[in-house]
Amino acid sequence: MGQVTLKGIRKSFGKVDVIRGIDLEVHDGEFMVFVGPSGCGKSTTLRMIAGLETISEGELLIGGQRANDLRPADRGAAMVFQSYALYPHMTVAENMGFALKMAGVAKAQRNEQVGRAAEILRITELLGRYPKELSGGQRQRVAIGRAIVRKPMVFLFDEPLSNLDAALRVNMRIELSRLHKELGATMIYVTHDQVEAMTMGDRIAVFNGGVVEQLGSPMDLYNRPANEFVAGFIGAPRINLVDRPGDGSSTTHRALWDVLATGAPAQARRVGLRPEHLHLVGVEHGVLARVELAEHLGDSSIIYLRVEGLDTLLSAKVGAGNQHVEPGQAVGLAPDAAWALSFDVHRRLAPGS
Amino acid sequence: MNNDRLAPWAAYLIVGVGALIMLAPFYFMFVFATQSRTEIFSLPPPMWFGDDFFNNLKILTERIPFWRNLGWSLYVAIASTALTLLFCSMGGYAFGCFEFRYKNALFAFVMATMLLPSFMNMIPSFMVMDALGWIDQPRALYIPGAASAFGIFLMRQFVVTSVPKDLIEAARMDGCSELGIYWRIVLPLLKPALGTLGLITFIASWNNFMGPLIVMRSPENYTLPLALRSLQSPVDTEWGALMTGSAIATIPLLILFMMSSRQLISGLTAGAVK
Repeated sequence: MGQVTLKGIRKSFGKVDVIRGIDLEVHDGEFMVFVGPSGCGKSTTLRMIAGLETISEGELLIGGQRANDLRPADRGAAMVFQSYALYPHMTVAENMGFALKMAGVAKAQRNEQVGRAAEILRITELLGRYPKELSGGQRQRVAIGRAIVRKPMVFLFDEPLSNLDAALRVNMRIELSRLHKELGATMIYVTHDQVEAMTMGDRIAVFNGGVVEQLGSPMDLYNRPANEFVAGFIGAPRINLVDRPGDGSSTTHRALWDVLATGAPAQARRVGLRPEHLHLVGVEHGVLARVELAEHLGDSSIIYLRVEGLDTLLSAKVGAGNQHVEPGQAVGLAPDAAWALSFDVHRRLAPGS
Repeated sequence: MNNDRLAPWAAYLIVGVGALIMLAPFYFMFVFATQSRTEIFSLPPPMWFGDDFFNNLKILTERIPFWRNLGWSLYVAIASTALTLLFCSMGGYAFGCFEFRYKNALFAFVMATMLLPSFMNMIPSFMVMDALGWIDQPRALYIPGAASAFGIFLMRQFVVTSVPKDLIEAARMDGCSELGIYWRIVLPLLKPALGTLGLITFIASWNNFMGPLIVMRSPENYTLPLALRSLQSPVDTEWGALMTGSAIATIPLLILFMMSSRQLISGLTAGAVK
């Protein structure tokens, strides 16, 4: 009932094509995350679903019904904006009840529905206040409350946590996940933060340059990324990528490749390994590398390593207990090749890796 | 140390003298409103209030339909302000928040009308009013200026800085009609700018002399500036009555200004710093 289908969606602003063919389906009750770097088209796609941007080509179905030409309010979707967009001259209760008022709902019933939504979000004592009297987190809740009151088929979130501080962001993430379970509604969530994407989404759509690079569950994207872009975008710190050595490559580069590419298919031009699978051993037991920098996070540490012949630093994630490294120290690298991902000349995942 | 103590006093002195010079005409207007014609021209001129106020008032109301003229001034100023606020806010909102073909050309055109000196309008204005049959009617005073370029410009600047685009989109998602968005969301947020524009328009309309001079014929339909002017003649000006009329004419503006002087200053600088 609350499923959203995008078929061949394209969008151009004048001559510029910003969305170049999106096909995806959000299942009823699913929490779908649109993630990608700035300018990739995720917000534009969300706004097209909401009805705030026109669709240049393609078909949008909400709840099985064609929605391309429907007014935003008639699509059964409610949106939570990044800036919250609360009406400053109305109280919290009036803000939340505004959509119902526009729909002609009687005052008594309006108050009841607003009250119920306020209870779910625990903002009942704020109902008489004005937005400027609220903190960022409280305004966030009111914005969500305004969406809940409308009982939409689909919730649309446009980077709602970007304006909150780190601690509050973690709390709100948990809140939103709880809300999703409680309401059971379809939610489409746009973010540039891959941590939010990984922790909150049932499925994630990775956007890049107006197309969807991959659509799948968080662990699918993490363990089997469709291409180098997805591999590099998902996961922090970034995946290590090592090119196939050429004629002028150093011995250490070749040695590293030999270990990494064990069992890799012939087309592999580049191999990726996540930092947690790059182990540090004694200098004699592994490929020679020098420690450039160590970042200690408390429970784990990220060690940046320079390998002679490689342009970029490699990163290794080590747990507590293995953190006694000094910058300049020589270590041996022992990658776990079972977790290596091979990419072909088109930067896509090579079959058999 | 001497400089520090001297400087504020010197500043006060200069400002004080300046203030005296500025306020003197108003002061004397009120003083002369209570003096008879002969007393005004005596040497030295009276410095304090006299007792001829009601006498002057009697002469005033005998010479011209003063209260009627006052009524017309009030009526035209209020109508002018109301219409200007309505149309300029709509225009400013449209130019500030919407995209439409020829928008930039239209806005440039509207702004260009501010370049025309007002005396160039006199004859064309008269011709149009005559063709419409509006000569000697108050509507000729408040309708032509209803959407002023300055007002549209002021509103547009305020809308762009004070009404976030998100808010309008949220209202659309909530099912608000476009007119509803204008009335319920944009207009309440424009209150400071509306106050400023309203004040400026009221004052301009109240003091407008040229406009009524061109289109008004009968003395019963005159607004105050015109009516008071008609008291003056080369030989027989009733100065006391004229001063009384002027003093009374100033009072509504004084009241309005005292009520909203804070508003005016904040409104004029709103949007200047983001």
